[in-house]
Amino acid sequence: MKIFPTGVKVAQGEVHIEKDICKGCGFCVSYCPMDVLEISTEFNAKGYHFPVVKNPGNCIDCGLCGMLCPDFAIWSTLKEKKEVVEL
Amino acid sequence: MVKNIEKSHPADCFLHADPVSSVWCPGCGIGTVINTFIQTVEKLNIDLNEICVVSGIGCTGKVAEYLKFKSFQVNDGEVIKYAAKVKSENSDSKVVVFSNNADFLVSGAEDFIETGKNDVNILVIHINNIIYTITEYRAIPTTPFMRASINKDFELPFNIPHLAKSCGARYVARWTPLHAGWLMYSIIDAFYKKGFSVIEVISPCLMYYASNDRMADAAGRMKFYDTNSVIKQDESTENLDIRINNKIIIGKFVDKK
Repeated sequence: MKIFPTGVKVAQGEVHIEKDICKGCGFCVSYCPMDVLEISTEFNAKGYHFPVVKNPGNCIDCGLCGMLCPDFAIWSTLKEKKEVVEL
Repeated sequence: MVKNIEKSHPADCFLHADPVSSVWCPGCGIGTVINTFIQTVEKLNIDLNEICVVSGIGCTGKVAEYLKFKSFQVNDGEVIKYAAKVKSENSDSKVVVFSNNADFLVSGAEDFIETGKNDVNILVIHINNIIYTITEYRAIPTTPFMRASINKDFELPFNIPHLAKSCGARYVARWTPLHAGWLMYSIIDAFYKKGFSVIEVISPCLMYYASNDRMADAAGRMKFYDTNSVIKQDESTENLDIRINNKIIIGKFVDKK
């Protein structure tokens, strides 16, 4: 995504998903600002479609998915800060 | 507090392990409110033994089962009375009430008024999901017009922030679960307010829209509440009724010292 200008240090996050707790409400997928997640075609143990990571490089560790999740099934952690060199 | 954040959720130390995942429907707003509350406690770095959570019956009553604080689940209509009693016995602890429409509007409203008049230092987080979820399709004081009722009861919805203000609450706010960041700072404000404070959360309910195909999707239902609400800070509480064609006014309305 071409949002950040050159020379800015952007946080690089990592998304963790516990797929068997998920109920497939889709809040994390529809409200992710960086378009990281998508709904999978597989089912989990309860029969819901859980989210999977589509673009792992886009995550900036904003924490919105972890804040909106009603079942504590998804969270993000800070990996490193990388510099945006080229658009 | 959690050692390995990569392997377990940061909120796991605040929850009992067995009942998660929860009993609520997919897309219910109650889970998001609890998530926000836990993040607030984590942010403020309060000792777990200092917080006491009281909840009543119905879907919201299950909140006390999941949280690892000192939590009590009490009878229908006795929530606020019980919380005021807990506060009078333990003046150091912070008492938080998770209440439902059944807990103080239909029965136990006089306790709400009395507690407000006495200015007992408790925080009431009222989760208003428009209907009684368990006894389906029954109109209650907060149902807008006759959508949810079989009997076609006609009644204007009840204005909870106005009731709270006229009882003498020092902090009154109203949010939806999607405004989680706003809600978090409201809870922080209300925690340090020495007096009766009320936060109303208007939460989407699956049962209310069960017959509506347009609202079948959980994320779409939350989006409906997002597009139909407008933030107006310090609005007069008389204008806060929920009407079908108007937008839901949310924000912080009363903040007294």
